[in-house]
Amino acid sequence: MRLFASMLVVALAGCAAPAVDAERGRLLLRQYGCGTCHRIPGVAAAVGEVGPPLQGVARRAYLAGVLPNTPQNMASWIRSPRTHDPRTLMPDMQVSEEQARDMVAYLYRLR
Amino acid sequence: MRVLLGAMVVAAAAAVAAFWFGAYNVAATAEHFAITHWLLDRGMLRSVKQRARSIAVPSLGDPAQIRRGVALFREHCVQCHGAPGIAPAAFALGMTPPPANLVYTAREWQPQEIFWMIKNGARMTGMPAWQFRLSDEEIWAVVAFARELPALSPQTYRELKGEDTGVRTEVAVATADADRGRIAINQYACTTCHSIPGVVGPDAPVGPPLAGIAKRAVLAGILPNTPENMVRWLRAPQDVSPLSAMPNLGVSARDARDIAAYLATLK
Repeated sequence: MRLFASMLVVALAGCAAPAVDAERGRLLLRQYGCGTCHRIPGVAAAVGEVGPPLQGVARRAYLAGVLPNTPQNMASWIRSPRTHDPRTLMPDMQVSEEQARDMVAYLYRLR
Repeated sequence: MRVLLGAMVVAAAAAVAAFWFGAYNVAATAEHFAITHWLLDRGMLRSVKQRARSIAVPSLGDPAQIRRGVALFREHCVQCHGAPGIAPAAFALGMTPPPANLVYTAREWQPQEIFWMIKNGARMTGMPAWQFRLSDEEIWAVVAFARELPALSPQTYRELKGEDTGVRTEVAVATADADRGRIAINQYACTTCHSIPGVVGPDAPVGPPLAGIAKRAVLAGILPNTPENMVRWLRAPQDVSPLSAMPNLGVSARDARDIAAYLATLK
């Protein structure tokens, strides 16, 4: 009974917000052209040399040298870089909250 | 033959097990065996003597030079080593090995050996290298003062007037030196935040890895990556990126140029 209840809770939570999907995040990183500036393992043609490589970004302590690296901060950075560093050259790519969450889920696999 | 091979395999397995299970106690409170201490201490002394042999000693003991030495000693040395009647600071008392009492060092060591030790430091003793902070002239001033230490009473030491009369002049060097830059990278502790090919360090990814930095188009997400901009960024990160977590490490113009020259080789 308790098991059923907890399964129900999980199922309902699933309905409220779509599950975070790292694989979708990987495809989104390609779709948004992140690879034109960054090297990203596992993302097709992501061999850019403009910004830093994202290999091991999950373990990096700071994002863009200005933000402590947490999943929330990374999503916020991806969605609106200039909010966090007005001088950054990284553009605002109009990434939705949900998409940013998926991208972060993928990037956090890069340890 | 087979017995010998077996013994070697067992010894290697024991060494790997000791490493893996953390058998060696790295605590600063765990003292060395007397024999280990003797070996390390003598080994260090032999090493210093060997390397200091060819250093020419300038004239030492001019009053102005000693006053300068006193000022530098109080700024940089007394915290760890103490002085006649002055205890080392709390952090230094917790170090293993404890920083040497320089009264004894001054009696036993040759001036060129003291100079070499100040200039180059000694790994795993806590003694820093000062060559990227002090000029040779300044280091000799400290040596000149250190030689006076054995003759100073606590009261005389307290009453000494230190005065840094020397003018800091940066050495003007025509061309950038990538090899020197590689050493400077360690001396500014860059590897505590960045992994850098060719420089042994902790590989702690606080900031981005610098492999391939020569090919990267933008520095800190802001500046076009040119040699001039790299020097600018290294010397004053906050001028480029006011919010950056990268600290200003007080890198001199020469050191920044040499570091940039080394980083430019990381393609």
